[in-house]
Amino acid sequence: MKVLEARKIGELAAALSGAGWRVLLPIEDGNVVRLAPWSPGAAVRTDVVPVNSLKDALFPPSEAIGRFGLDGNDFTVKEAPVDSARTVALCVRACDTAALGLLDTIFNWDFPDAFYNARRSAVTIVSLVCTSADEQCFCTSVGGRPDATVGADAVLRPAEAGAKLIFEPLTDKGRALVSAATALLADVADATVVADKPAEVPQLFDRPAVTKWLGANFDSPLWQDWSLACLGCGACAFACPTCHCFDIQDETTRSRCVRYRNWDACALSLFTQHAGGHNPRADQAARRRQRLMHKLSYIPERFALVGCVGCGRCERACPAGLGIVEICQAIEEIQKVPAR
Amino acid sequence: MEQTKANTKTTRDASAEGFEPRIVAFVCNWCTYAGADLAGTSRMQYAPNVRIIKLPCTGRIDPMFILKAFEGGADAVLVSGCHPGDCHYTSGNYHARRRWAVFHKLLDFTGIDPGRLHFSWVSAAEGRKFADLINDVTEAVRGLGPFASDNPARRQA
Amino acid sequence: MNVTEAIRADAARLLTEGRARMVIGYRLHHGRGVPVFLTAPERVDSLYYGPQCTLNLAAYLSRPEVRRSAPVAIVAAPAALRSLVVLAAESQVPEGSVLALAVGPDEYHGVVDAAAAAELLRTRYACLEADPDLSARAAELAAMSPRERSAFWQEQFARCTRCYACRAACPGCYCQRCVVEKNMPQWVSTAARGHGNYAWHILRAFHQAGRCVLCGACESACPQGIELMLLNISIAQNVQEQFGATPGLDPEAKPVMGTFRPDDKDEFIR
Repeated sequence: MKVLEARKIGELAAALSGAGWRVLLPIEDGNVVRLAPWSPGAAVRTDVVPVNSLKDALFPPSEAIGRFGLDGNDFTVKEAPVDSARTVALCVRACDTAALGLLDTIFNWDFPDAFYNARRSAVTIVSLVCTSADEQCFCTSVGGRPDATVGADAVLRPAEAGAKLIFEPLTDKGRALVSAATALLADVADATVVADKPAEVPQLFDRPAVTKWLGANFDSPLWQDWSLACLGCGACAFACPTCHCFDIQDETTRSRCVRYRNWDACALSLFTQHAGGHNPRADQAARRRQRLMHKLSYIPERFALVGCVGCGRCERACPAGLGIVEICQAIEEIQKVPAR
Repeated sequence: MEQTKANTKTTRDASAEGFEPRIVAFVCNWCTYAGADLAGTSRMQYAPNVRIIKLPCTGRIDPMFILKAFEGGADAVLVSGCHPGDCHYTSGNYHARRRWAVFHKLLDFTGIDPGRLHFSWVSAAEGRKFADLINDVTEAVRGLGPFASDNPARRQA
Repeated sequence: MNVTEAIRADAARLLTEGRARMVIGYRLHHGRGVPVFLTAPERVDSLYYGPQCTLNLAAYLSRPEVRRSAPVAIVAAPAALRSLVVLAAESQVPEGSVLALAVGPDEYHGVVDAAAAAELLRTRYACLEADPDLSARAAELAAMSPRERSAFWQEQFARCTRCYACRAACPGCYCQRCVVEKNMPQWVSTAARGHGNYAWHILRAFHQAGRCVLCGACESACPQGIELMLLNISIAQNVQEQFGATPGLDPEAKPVMGTFRPDDKDEFIR
C-alpha cells in the first residue's frame, strides 16, 4: 500500500503542481477554509468541511459561455473557450463526490453541457475519508457514508490517528497521479498501517418517509412556520454541492457582448418573477418549500437520486442557521402522530 | 509609505508613451454645461480628452454613474455643477455634495486613486474656469497614467 | 432571574396581554443563537439569550410575514436597538407595531418601544465604540497606497459569489426590489466577478451611509468571510466627521444622506 505523511499534503500539492496539474485542496483563505487552488505557502486544513464544495470547480459561480461582436454590420460569434486544464482535487469529502451523480445527470440531462463536461473530464478527484463529523453533518441520513468512494478516482484514508494517509487509487486517473508523487508515497506492506475508523454519523431522519410526506403535503400550512427565519439569500444554494440553478446574462457594450452563466438560487425573491409581473412563488414559504421539494421529492421522483448529500453546508452558511435536518425531523414527528 | 507613493507615481508616468487620458465629465445643464459652452463660443482652447455627459442637475447624478465610467474605460471622472446657493432646482447640488463627500472617500478607500476623481463648482459665466479645469485634470491624469486594467472597478474583456 | 428567564417572562406576558402577537427571539441550535418566532405564550421556554446570539433580529421587521403579525416584539441587543431606531426614523415601523425586549451584554433592560430604546441607548450605550481591532485594521488599510488598497479589495471581492447574504441579514436593506436586480437597464453586473462584485459592494455600503449601525450582521452572514465591516466603518467614520451624525440614536432623526446643510464641508470641491 502507498502511504503519505499527513503533514506532507502541501508537498503533494506542490509535486502535482510541478507535474502540470492545477491543484485544488482545502486551504485557509482569510477566516474561512475553502477548496481553492493551491499556491506555495497555502495552509492546508482537513479538520473542517470547507465552506464551498467541488461543485465550484465544475460549475463556477460565473463563467463566460459566449462572446459576440458587432463590427459595422458584421455579427461575429467568438469561441467561448471551455476549460479543460488538467486538475486534481485533493481531500474532497465523500459528500462532495456523492453529489457528482446528480450533477453529471443534470448537466447531461437533455443537453450535454460542454463547459461542465470539459471540467469534469479534466478533473481527478482524490477523496479524504472523514474521521470526524460535526453537528451539521448528516450524510448517513441521505444514503451516504463518511468513507464512501463513489465518484472518486483515489481515496486517502487517515491512519495512525490521522498522522498518516493511506493512498488508494481507484481508477486509471487515480493511478496516473502516483508517478508524480513517488517521492512522497512510501511503499508499505499491506496491513502494516491500519486505517482509522470513519466518523460516526448517526442517522437523523428516514429520508424515504420524508419524501413520501413531501409528495402529499405541498399545501401544508407548516411551510409558513418553517420559512419565517429564512431571509431569502442564496447562501445555502451556493454552498450546496448539488444545487445547480443558473441565470444567463448578456453583458453588452455597443460592439461586444459576453454571455455569462451565473449561479442563481430559488430562495431569492425574484427567481421565478415573470416579465408580466406575476411571481408564482410570491412568498418565502413557497420558496423554502421549493428547496426542500426539489431536493427530496422532485429529484428522487425524476432521477431516482437524492438531491441532498448531507454535507451540512447549508446550515453552516445560513445566517439564520436553517438547514435540511430540522424540517425533516419535524416531518417525521408529524408522521408519528396517528391520523385522526 | 512616502516611498511607496513615489514609486507609484514614477512607474505610472506614461507620458513618454503618448498616453491620452480618457476623462468623463458629468455636469449639470444650467451651470457647468453652459460654462463649457461659453468656453467654446469664446474660442478658449482646452484639452480634447473630456467627454461631457449633461444632466439636468448634479442632484440627478447617482454615484453609480461614476463607477460606470471607470468600468467602461475612463481614466478619470469629473463631476461639476452649480455653486452652492445657485442651483437651478434650489437644492440639488446640496444633496449631491453630501453624496460626493461620502462617495469619493469610499472610492479612495477601495483603491481608486483620488487623483482620478474630481469635483467642481463651475457656473455658466465661468468658461475660463472650465477650460482651466479640464486642462489641469488632463495633465494630472496624464501623470498618473492609465487606469490600471486589473483594478476591480474596470470591466474585464 | 437571569437574562434568559427575564426574556421568557416578558415574552409570555406580552403575548398573553396581546401587546405582541409575535415574539422574535433566539433559541440555541447546534451552538448558535438562531431565530425563533413565537405566537403562543406556552412556547416561550424555547427562548434563550447568550453570547451565541449575535444575529440582528431587526432584519426580520421588514419581512411581509412579520409585518402581518404586528404588533411584534424582538429580542434586541444595543446594535439591534439602534437598527430599530433607524427603522422608526425611516417610517418603516408604524407607531406601536414594534417593541423590543432590550438586552445588554449581561443585563436585561425590559420592554421598550423605539423612543424608549433611543433613550436607553443615549443613557447607557452612548459611547458605542466600534471594535478597536476593526478601527485599527481600517487605519492600516487607509495608510496603504491606492494600488495596495486596490489589490486588497480585489482579493476580497474575488471571493464574493453574489449570494446576497449580506443584504438579507442587514436590517437596513429592506427595498422590495434591490437596484442590483433592476434589469431594464442592468445597472450592476450580476456576474460574480471583477467589476460586478466591486460595484455591488460599493453600492451596498454606500446605500447604508448614514444608516449603518455597525452591527456586523453583514460580515457575520458572509459565507466567504469578506471583511465587509471595513467598508462600513470607513463610511461611518466619514459620516460622523463630515456631518456629525451617528445613526440609530434618535427616532425622529432626518436621514443623513437625504438632508443637507448649506454649510456642509466642500474643501474637496474646486
